[in-house]
Amino acid sequence: MKYLSEYRDPTLARALIGQIRQSASRRWTLMEVCGGQTHTIVKQGLDELLGESVEMIHGPGCPVCVTPLEQIDRALALAAMPNVIFTSFGDMLRVPGSECDLLQVRARGGEVRVVYSPLDAVALARKNPEREVVFFAVGFETTAPANAMAVWRAAQLGIRNFTMLVSHVTVPPAMTAILDAPDNRVQGFLAAGHVCTVMGWTEYEPIAARYRVPIIVTGFEPLDILEGIYLGIRQLEAGRCEVENQYVRSVRREGTVPARTLVERVFHLVDRQWRGIGTIPMSGLALREEFAAFDAELRFGLSEIRASEPTECRAGEVLRGLLKPPDCPMFGNRCTPEHPLGAPMVSSEGACAAYFNYGRIRQRQHAEV
Amino acid sequence: MCLGIPGRIVEIHQDEGLAMGLVDFGGVRREVCLAYVEDQVEPGDYALVHVGFAIAKVDEHEARRTFEALRQMSQLEELDWMREVADRSLDAMSGGPA
Amino acid sequence: MATTPLIDGLTCPVPLTSTERVQLGHGSGGKMSASLFRERILPHFDNPALAVLGDAAVFRVPATELAISTDSFVVSPLEFPGGNIGSLAVHGTLNDLAMMGARPFCLTAGFVLEEGLPFDLLDRIVAAMAAAARRADVPIVAGDTKVVERGKADGLYINTTGVGVLHVGARPGPRGARVGDAILVSGPIGRHGMAIMATREGIGFETGIESDSASLWPVVAPLLHRFGPAIHVLRDPTRGGLASALNEIAQASGVGIELKESSLPIPGAVQAGCEMLGLDPLYVANEGILVAMVPEASATAALECMRADPLGVEAAIIGRVVAAHPGFVVLHTALGGTRIVDLLPGDQLPRIC
Repeated sequence: MKYLSEYRDPTLARALIGQIRQSASRRWTLMEVCGGQTHTIVKQGLDELLGESVEMIHGPGCPVCVTPLEQIDRALALAAMPNVIFTSFGDMLRVPGSECDLLQVRARGGEVRVVYSPLDAVALARKNPEREVVFFAVGFETTAPANAMAVWRAAQLGIRNFTMLVSHVTVPPAMTAILDAPDNRVQGFLAAGHVCTVMGWTEYEPIAARYRVPIIVTGFEPLDILEGIYLGIRQLEAGRCEVENQYVRSVRREGTVPARTLVERVFHLVDRQWRGIGTIPMSGLALREEFAAFDAELRFGLSEIRASEPTECRAGEVLRGLLKPPDCPMFGNRCTPEHPLGAPMVSSEGACAAYFNYGRIRQRQHAEV
Repeated sequence: MCLGIPGRIVEIHQDEGLAMGLVDFGGVRREVCLAYVEDQVEPGDYALVHVGFAIAKVDEHEARRTFEALRQMSQLEELDWMREVADRSLDAMSGGPA
Repeated sequence: MATTPLIDGLTCPVPLTSTERVQLGHGSGGKMSASLFRERILPHFDNPALAVLGDAAVFRVPATELAISTDSFVVSPLEFPGGNIGSLAVHGTLNDLAMMGARPFCLTAGFVLEEGLPFDLLDRIVAAMAAAARRADVPIVAGDTKVVERGKADGLYINTTGVGVLHVGARPGPRGARVGDAILVSGPIGRHGMAIMATREGIGFETGIESDSASLWPVVAPLLHRFGPAIHVLRDPTRGGLASALNEIAQASGVGIELKESSLPIPGAVQAGCEMLGLDPLYVANEGILVAMVPEASATAALECMRADPLGVEAAIIGRVVAAHPGFVVLHTALGGTRIVDLLPGDQLPRIC
């Protein structure tokens, strides 16, 4: 596939690995923000191949993992309502709420459907005017333009039976929250390439300057990650702390302006709770009042639903990079993808699931040695 | 966030005022909303697609340029240890030390 | 929707029999049932055992060791690129027998039909079953038809049971893998699952991918003939894909499995569809390929043997059985890294993240 497969070339990957090893005078600590990047790193064994030169800490870039328990419970309540068709991206179907997950709600008779695009949910609403169609709008800034367009379109077409349960989060406040923590060890970041495709990178310039950390806008294929790590280390070795763009084929400094414009039109910034981390001010998106008619929380009166997190899951420490999943006492025994204690084990992008699915063999080998 | 893949725009049309297009992803085709890149793209261009929306045009010129730089760097690399890495993984494949 | 008779649902001494859809009456055992069978099913499956129309089929058993397998098919949609539920039902059970090293020699077919199923759709499905059975030279000798109320079946469900004769001396099975064995696959992976996925509402996409549904006996027979007991394992990786099948074998045999990513035959369109939906081809269902494990020394010959059949032209050696990490499947990536290929807790779901 063009502009995708070339970035998996093993020869070029080995060259980049060589460059990284050559340029690192010590072991640096970088954080890749996005779950998709974590996925590539663990799936390709990149951390294993770079072990001496860089420690990769996996960041909270998994919107599924950070969706608050309350919001999951609200989704489950909606899905169980008889007249509702609950639509969602596939990622959310196995995330555990306080008592069950969407798949179990489906088994009990709730109508739950996976869609690929929010516009599919709008089309479904149009086709089924006598049903209520709810869409679970989870994501970072990457998905906000799509969700914004869904609402815009529904408004334009006069569709009255479509609402969204919104659980959007934004990246920069999470990065500063990590950098502000007293036990922070992160020396540089690989910023989320697709978030920056939409938003550009201007928001990261003040962060790089204030905290004196290099921030490399990085893609998702093995060559992208390796090149991003290389550029990050090169800056650290030279004592620089700038925003640099590795993902040049997709990202421009100003992002995609029409997308940002519509997102700002439809959503506004609010304080948001991040599962496992806590409330981060002005880190979430909510529908503007003008579009209140498309807000599922308002239409279905869900604000009464509250939930408290089980205390034993240490997802917060994992999401902040303080705990490696295999070092969690529950990892692999009480907490597995089949019976997860928290979201990072359930979501395919979650650090715990990535380690469980791809990385366990090394833990075993190290243990055997 | 994550799953965005590049596809080639095959044709563009309006669907009740919304710019849509047929995009080809290496042999698989799907309808994609082109509203956010409408002014920048024409059939034959590549766009990055996430959840059925084109979120940016792929800059083919930039892509080629940096790929060339990578390729040149790889040709200059003659470090012994790199061969060692390659040999190690071949070893693992042929049943050598695990 | 076809026009329904005015008396639909009422008991009437003179039922309208010239309708275009299955009705509850077709399951009642009376004239309508008889005519459904005689007109819509028997002509397709026609063979001496079935033509007797007894309560059971009678035939001579050619050997004393037999294999028997049963499977039910509930796939939706009923028709998909490359086949339909009917051809799938025949191929699936024939393959279960073949994976045991058994030559299939007869099949049964049980139908649960949903009230309202259009006859022309039923005809296409039954015709496809008959064609698949004929190609394999395996008669469908017994069967059953039931009709359930609208909404109680997804159009129709099919059960097929097959009986086969075990090849003398060969006992391929999930516990047969031995350290040092080479692992072969007979063709490209991921076609059936992606062909189905492409039709799903809300997820669908256009593609030329067709299901690979096929009877694998023509690939298996020469292997058994030539290598006999040296065929340690045969397995068709259906639901859960190659990854699930290999995990089950690794666990059953108590061995480790190592795969080479660059050796896996994956069609470009399958790869593209998987990229789009965030799926891993290793977990996508197949219906027309098999995995074989044979001693290293026989690997090249076994590969040639597979490639001699049209179904096996893209056969490849994809890995080996090892003593390390018993019960686990490990993939060596093209980049030189390794990762575990584990069993998934449930179905693979499309993702955006």
